[in-house]
Amino acid sequence: MIAIQTKDVDIGQLINAAKQRGTGAVVVFDGVVRDDDITEMELEAYEEVAVKELEKIAGEAKSLHKLLSVDIIHRIGRLSVGENILIIVVSAGHRAEAYAGSRFIIEAIKAGVPIWKKELTKDGGRWVTGEHAHGSGKSR
Amino acid sequence: MTVKVRFFARFRELFGTDIVTDVQNGTSFIDLIKRIAGKNTEGYAAIFDENGSFREFVVLMQNGRRIDCADAATTPVADGDEIAVFPPVAGG
Repeated sequence: MIAIQTKDVDIGQLINAAKQRGTGAVVVFDGVVRDDDITEMELEAYEEVAVKELEKIAGEAKSLHKLLSVDIIHRIGRLSVGENILIIVVSAGHRAEAYAGSRFIIEAIKAGVPIWKKELTKDGGRWVTGEHAHGSGKSR
Repeated sequence: MTVKVRFFARFRELFGTDIVTDVQNGTSFIDLIKRIAGKNTEGYAAIFDENGSFREFVVLMQNGRRIDCADAATTPVADGDEIAVFPPVAGG
């Protein structure tokens, strides 16, 4: 399942579905809204493009790290502290591939998928600066 | 001809979500964005530097594909194009 959506997901159900024939390891990444003195977090995406890029990343992760399954669910909309933002569930024959595949996916998402976060505070809000603050003016 | 320009995140707050506009044949990517951004002083300064070039962190897309800022002056927009302009991504 690759999705950008407002609603939360049942991680347990994703884990069960990830246990396909040959699975020896399932790795779950769950990114949550951190309590950085904020009231809520607002997430926004260029949805049509972001979904395609998530699908491409999932495909690359599968072939590079021999993953058996990949689920990526990125939430958008307004989220409270402690809520899930991003859930990545991968399965593989062995833990090394599962960990590496999961790491590959989260780093690729942070590097280029068009999604943005705004931290809402008592005094207003601030856009989160990406870790990869380069645009079209620099080679990627 | 008609194109749609989409701004996201901070740029959306400055310019609005989707702007559908008529453009003349041969209009370049940068000329189109400058024409729209010129209506908002703060927005223009957020996207362009003092020399009128795209700021280094600005990301441009044409129909879902990234284009280099360096090509924006010579790349013409086409009828039905969807142009996206946004700041660095911060998902995850």
